[in-house]
Amino acid sequence: MNMLRLNIQLFAHHKGQGSTSNGRDSKGRRLGAKASDGETVSAGSILYRQRGTKIFPGTNVRKGSDDTLYTTVTGVVKYETFGKDKTKVSCYPAN
Amino acid sequence: MVTVLVNKNNEEIKLLGHAGFNIKGKDIVCSAISSIVITTVNGILMFDKDNIKYQENDNEFIIKVKKNNEITSNLIANMLNLLKELESDYPNNIKIKEEIR
Repeated sequence: MNMLRLNIQLFAHHKGQGSTSNGRDSKGRRLGAKASDGETVSAGSILYRQRGTKIFPGTNVRKGSDDTLYTTVTGVVKYETFGKDKTKVSCYPAN
Repeated sequence: MVTVLVNKNNEEIKLLGHAGFNIKGKDIVCSAISSIVITTVNGILMFDKDNIKYQENDNEFIIKVKKNNEITSNLIANMLNLLKELESDYPNNIKIKEEIR
């Protein structure tokens, strides 16, 4: 049998410097309002990006499959409250 | 924690696990155990390369005594005494379990 090399950390944990298996994260999705109250937008413009319905679709506004709210008409954006504590966004044509 | 399993006649010694006193490179208990064990193994091999066999795996180190002469048994006994002293100082990092004689 061969002599052993003197490895004085033979019975130490193999991971050095206390490595961790964390440290991953996804990129920010830039959610939130894309058009503010009183702003004039054209038809089809995105008003609000969200996950779930923080903001509900109002007049002339529809909800996409990823809960994005967008306007179906050109007009002025209006954020309105309804119910006890809910908010909806509408778009009223400017005449 | 390093667990040291010693069979009845000190003819097989198994060291399992990691000392876990600190991270690699700063683990003084691990370095003491490593130095004691490696010095003993190399010491015995200096006398006769066939006195013992050792096996180094990921989480364990096994020493098997092939020729139990006076020198080998004294060096093994000395190693165990030193490991016991270490156990008394660092009970959370090394544990010696001897088979009942």
